[in-house]
Amino acid sequence: MPGWLEVVVRGVLFLFVLFLTTKILGKKQLSELSFFEYVSGITIGSIAAEVMMGLENNIWHGIIGVAIFAVLPFLVEILSLHSKTIRDVVEGKGTVLIKDGKILEDNLKKEKYTTDELLQLLRGRDVFKVDEVEYAVLEADGKLSVLLKKDNRPLTRKDLDLPSINEKEPHTIIMDGEIFDEKLASSGKSRGWLKMELAKQNVTIENVFLGQVDSSGQLTIDLYDDKIEVPKPQDKLLILANMKKCQADLELFALATESEQAKRLYAENAKRLQESMDVLSPHLKG
Amino acid sequence: MTVGADIKQCLATIKSIEAGLSSLAIHTNAEDEQRLYHRQMMVIEEIKQDLMKRIGEVEREEEQYKGF
Repeated sequence: MPGWLEVVVRGVLFLFVLFLTTKILGKKQLSELSFFEYVSGITIGSIAAEVMMGLENNIWHGIIGVAIFAVLPFLVEILSLHSKTIRDVVEGKGTVLIKDGKILEDNLKKEKYTTDELLQLLRGRDVFKVDEVEYAVLEADGKLSVLLKKDNRPLTRKDLDLPSINEKEPHTIIMDGEIFDEKLASSGKSRGWLKMELAKQNVTIENVFLGQVDSSGQLTIDLYDDKIEVPKPQDKLLILANMKKCQADLELFALATESEQAKRLYAENAKRLQESMDVLSPHLKG
Repeated sequence: MTVGADIKQCLATIKSIEAGLSSLAIHTNAEDEQRLYHRQMMVIEEIKQDLMKRIGEVEREEEQYKGF
């Protein structure tokens, strides 16, 4: 076999072997979270490259080498699933670098991190002032996890005392102009509904690049033709606007009428509408 | 516009709100949200009944405003 042909054969073979190994080891290998995954990732790669290009090497030795670095971490992973002690040794533990807002210099030294490196890691997490951090851990894979002080955390609905809203995940039902019936079914909609919604927005299915439906049943689409402006779904806002208008009308009627009884009826209904509006507005605005 | 016509316009808007809430209740997937829309739809329904009653009174009092 000429040399170039052997390189081709070995290349294809090892690509296949590597693909198989990573499939078996799973997503965890790709994340390179622990020491074992990091080392085995590098080694498997270099064994494959070495055997592929160095034609004097035996191809089976290369495959055995790859297999060792695939099987051993696999076994260790299974063991570490069952025992916390093994897990701590193999995968390592996080080191607390900042506690109660204070940098722990001893731990920093133990991990051989300089102040500059700590600041760099913090900046990577969008923190430019150490003062903003309450607690920070250097994880086993070298990433820094940061807990900000309560004052510096982003505002949430809970902070504002807004009622809780449970939003389900959106479903992608159209991709490249094709309808995905399975997704359509899991979002609880039918093709008929989709046809109607598209007609409402005045587009054909062939022109839709991507279509998603959210949990409240609103369809948002992106078209191939970017010159066409797609109207944003406004059903909910329209309902809210109508409610506001009606509420104002009712109050106006209450002021205008001379009959006591009618005045009471209008005022009472205006109040009821206002209450209903208060309940609905967080949902309708979203 | 007369008072009668004003109230009738308001009634029409109320009806459209009711229909909108009803369609939201049908199309949403989250169950608690479905319940919420449905409950508010009932409230709007009651307001609608009151308004219709009032329209009847106005029409009886002032014959010239009769008709839809």
